[in-house]
Amino acid sequence: MNGAQAVLAALEREGVDTVFGYPGGAIMPLYDALFGHPVRHVLVRHEAAAAFAASGYARTSGRVGVCCATSGPGATNLVTGLLDAMMDSVPVVAITGQVRRELMGTDGFQEADVCAITQAVTKRNMLVSDVDSIAETLAEAFALARRGRPGPVLVDIPNDVLKAQTDVTAVPEKPPGRIGDGPRVSDAAVRDAVARIRSARRPVAIVGGGVRAGAVDLYRMFVAMLGLPHAATINALGAAASGDAAYLGMLGMHGLKAANKAVQRADVILALGMRFDDRVTGKPDRFAREATVIHADIDATEFNKIITANVALHGDLGETLRALVNELARGHVPRFDDWAAEARLLGGPLPSDRVADDVLSATDVLDRVFAALPGDAIVTTDVGQHQMWAAQRARPAHPRKYATSAGLGAMGFGFPAAVGAAYANPTVPVFAIVGDGGFQMCLPELATLRRYKIPVKIVLIDNQNLGMVRQWQELFFSERYSATNLADNPDFVAIARAYGIEAFAIDAPAGADDVIARFVAARGPALLHCACHPTENVWPMIPAGMTVDDLMEARA
Amino acid sequence: MTCELTLRDVRSVARIVNLAHRFNCRCTHVTANADATVTARFAFDGAAVALVRLRAQIDRIVAYEAPQ
Repeated sequence: MNGAQAVLAALEREGVDTVFGYPGGAIMPLYDALFGHPVRHVLVRHEAAAAFAASGYARTSGRVGVCCATSGPGATNLVTGLLDAMMDSVPVVAITGQVRRELMGTDGFQEADVCAITQAVTKRNMLVSDVDSIAETLAEAFALARRGRPGPVLVDIPNDVLKAQTDVTAVPEKPPGRIGDGPRVSDAAVRDAVARIRSARRPVAIVGGGVRAGAVDLYRMFVAMLGLPHAATINALGAAASGDAAYLGMLGMHGLKAANKAVQRADVILALGMRFDDRVTGKPDRFAREATVIHADIDATEFNKIITANVALHGDLGETLRALVNELARGHVPRFDDWAAEARLLGGPLPSDRVADDVLSATDVLDRVFAALPGDAIVTTDVGQHQMWAAQRARPAHPRKYATSAGLGAMGFGFPAAVGAAYANPTVPVFAIVGDGGFQMCLPELATLRRYKIPVKIVLIDNQNLGMVRQWQELFFSERYSATNLADNPDFVAIARAYGIEAFAIDAPAGADDVIARFVAARGPALLHCACHPTENVWPMIPAGMTVDDLMEARA
Repeated sequence: MTCELTLRDVRSVARIVNLAHRFNCRCTHVTANADATVTARFAFDGAAVALVRLRAQIDRIVAYEAPQ
């Protein structure tokens, strides 16, 4: 077989069923091998969408997402998606074609040093210069993508290596990498943590994206065992059990007031698989000042990076939670129900910024949409105001039911991520909530929906603005609205229909529920265009670098 | 701050020097012997907080390079 066929054999060995990509010169041998091959290839319309789709596939399934692109511009277009996967710890393998070995270093046509370019946005990258090493290199790439803290790995293969003949398709027997492999949490640290929990009066757990690595059930058991008030970062939405009254919601810049206030009043913080992002902590030296911090993470470099850990629990989060539960069960199990009830009262209803009852607001639309979604739906979002409004309202059944570009905040993520989610979960309804800015970064993916009849439903919150930037300009830049007005947006309904996508529209609250119901029930791909008021803001808001003491709930 | 590392990939030497620059640290010494594995010695100057951040990133690079 040739190198390209060896690549596909390696993908089959890893259980890959779908690859998102875009062809080009250097990677043509791989596309030739894909022709008629059981590994399904999904042709996106821009390589950036391939990387985001692979991420959506991985985030909603726990399996490695795979994307491919040609050399030069194809490879460089993957970069944003790889960084997004790096920031949010998503296992993705990218395969890029490279110019022939004899051309490397000659500034050849579509040549780029993609290994140099992607060094900072991948866990590792590998240049395959020997066709006999394809099988082992890809096995290592998949193991590394899954191992410990998951993330992206790129494998760059020159065109002539893809064409060369090899009979090496087997890889040395090694235990397969998996999410959760890695260090074992220390017994002494677990005992120390449990002692601090037992003596705590106002403990709060903050769960982060690490919970997606198979730790959801143990997390729910742990917080339920203690009656512990808990909050989630945006990457952990869905970690709380349905109806858990001790769950305080998302915390951070646009998080819920109760979550932020409870964290600030806590005497013990249990930080579980989260990394104290600046959107969560605001001003680190004023964050939860009275609290002892117990920090659990698979990545030791997260300890003391932003917030000092009094106890560091280094290991897989599921194993750590199991150890905490077992250690607690050996002695007194404290209950924090009274504190949880008190913490809930620190909040209140989400502040509204609606203009008038007869004017369509984005938050009104999202309230109605979330009420209409099937219980098992997967939701992806893009980046901006709608992302925060959605995160404030969403109660997904599981973190794998919700995907958003959290750490990187990459506009253009939401729609192609929904495509990936739909392939990973073919029997589950998938909804992409997007804004008018981000949607226009990936509009051509409507062609992908059309070609493969992917039943993704797009909720387009169109406020004719780059709304989050507009909000900051209003609040912090003296209302100087520089380059945020999108009043000349195209007719999105007409565009969707031009691509053969069924389209619905609402521009007022009256009758909206009926249209939303028909949109949700549509059989194939569909777009719901929501013409919303242009100046609605996201509240509450803790301004960047501030604390919950500076929380804003309305315009000054 | 000094550190002596065993690396699989000699490119990581350059990556570490780049990171030092990014964190406004100065790489005052670097030597590397590349054979089957790479032995590299570094010395860095910089603000304490930057050096801590740099050390954490170096640890992450080494972890990602570790054999499967």
